[in-house]
Amino acid sequence: MSPNGAKRTPDPIPAQAGIGLRAPHYREILEKRPNIGWLEVHSENFFSDGGQPLFYLEQIRNHYPLSLHGVGLFLGSTDPMNWDHLDRLKSLIDRFEPDFVSEHLCWGSAQGRFLNDLLPLPYTEQALDHFCRQVQRAQELLGRTLLIENVCSYLQYKESTIPEWEFIAEVSQRTGCGLLLDVNNIYVNSVNYQFDPEIYFQSIPLNAVREIHLAGFDDTGDCLIDTHSQPVFPEVWELYRQAVKRFDETPTLIEWDTDVPELSVLLEEARKADAILIGNHAHTA
Amino acid sequence: MPTLRDLQIEFASAIFNPSGKGADFLQNLVDGNLSPKRQLDIYRNNVFGCLTDALKIAYPVIAKLVGVEFFEHLASEFVLKNPSKSGDLHDFGGELAQFIAEFPSAQTLVYLPDVARLEWACHQVFFSENHPPLQSERLAVVPEDQHERLKFHLHPATRLIASPFPIHLIWETNQDDFKGDSAVNLNRGGVRLLVRRNNYQAVLQPLTEGKWSFLNSCLSGRDLSQASADAQKIDPHLDIGETLKQCVADSILVDFSL
Repeated sequence: MSPNGAKRTPDPIPAQAGIGLRAPHYREILEKRPNIGWLEVHSENFFSDGGQPLFYLEQIRNHYPLSLHGVGLFLGSTDPMNWDHLDRLKSLIDRFEPDFVSEHLCWGSAQGRFLNDLLPLPYTEQALDHFCRQVQRAQELLGRTLLIENVCSYLQYKESTIPEWEFIAEVSQRTGCGLLLDVNNIYVNSVNYQFDPEIYFQSIPLNAVREIHLAGFDDTGDCLIDTHSQPVFPEVWELYRQAVKRFDETPTLIEWDTDVPELSVLLEEARKADAILIGNHAHTA
Repeated sequence: MPTLRDLQIEFASAIFNPSGKGADFLQNLVDGNLSPKRQLDIYRNNVFGCLTDALKIAYPVIAKLVGVEFFEHLASEFVLKNPSKSGDLHDFGGELAQFIAEFPSAQTLVYLPDVARLEWACHQVFFSENHPPLQSERLAVVPEDQHERLKFHLHPATRLIASPFPIHLIWETNQDDFKGDSAVNLNRGGVRLLVRRNNYQAVLQPLTEGKWSFLNSCLSGRDLSQASADAQKIDPHLDIGETLKQCVADSILVDFSL
């Protein structure tokens, strides 16, 4: 129930495409109510105490299932747990009753100084223990399971001993968290570090994947960088088809954060994802 | 092998202090397709880019006044001296006015710190909590002999700003949708402003000195008799009763305590 007593859409997030809800589209979504399975927002964009963002989300939430996607909790940081951030997240969860709440497999602050970026962890036993402990503490405070998303990485630590795919699979096994598989990030990392993405998929427990992300990247010449500033690339659509074959009916989000285009462009990308989801369903049914 | 904590501290110091101790951090990285230096540079660009963008969003008028190149220079220096303290980027950048006031190459732009203060006030007002208007029935039941002792509270989404420069005009002429003559005569004098929210946008309302002083005294926790005295020292003709009525009607004053 919302604070004003109106009933929320009770449905869980369906195995369809959704789009990231960004400020330039608040009003249009509310006016046109496009036919889209669900919406995802960055949790921190609604950490304010009042004002316009909450005004719109209150209304939009009444028409769409919602996912809260955090970009600032940084569970991999060795700083003390950011309880203030978690409290703000919990208030948001209580208010909007999202079906999914996700965070990233990353760190982002040291000695209280925030870098506000999704920084990769070294994939070591020590980091695995630490990250799992943090996920468990967050899940306990929030009283729910989180989804954890794989990130892009542009650096490799010498001390890493565990492949990324085994590391994230283990996080899910140990903490019971779900996984948010970012297929674009897997593609970017597979090109930058020359591994076969199929190996990644095969390491991930089938029932752990609750959500998939798709986005566009930039090619700087010497590597690929995840910018969320472009349409999904054909290579990533191809990889997505493979992911859908393996993980079946998984809610899929189109992310676009920089140079956000017209809403119609996002909806068109979502339709492409829906076609692949439906095609796979018809094929396996 | 460094502990995870040491590694993170060294990483952060390499990002923010590349020529100092941070250089050692590169030894932790695999020399592969990308050199360790290039790997770290990508993250440095990302970190500075993201924090600079957050400042551009909060300070669009400053960015317009000084131009992109200078703003990015200013932002990268600011980032080094004023670390982000929050996982929510909307919390970042509140010290920019103070920083600009002390920034050597911005000294000739004397009005810039006040414009920055105004923009941060707008930023805060945009995100502040909502509050219902003050119901006049609540005031009606307060015994008359206690009126002088009432302390009025401003709406959480309001800020008071005073400047010896015409920052109101500077702000208006640098809005994206402004049409007309953008020249501002700096000698036309200062302004006292109330920043408040209207239709979920921050708006500026110039106030007379007396009214501004009255609200500023309320904000400082002074009671009605003290706030009235403060205001009438500046403007002996200010009608306190009328000012109060108007501020309640406009939801500028939204609560009171005794």
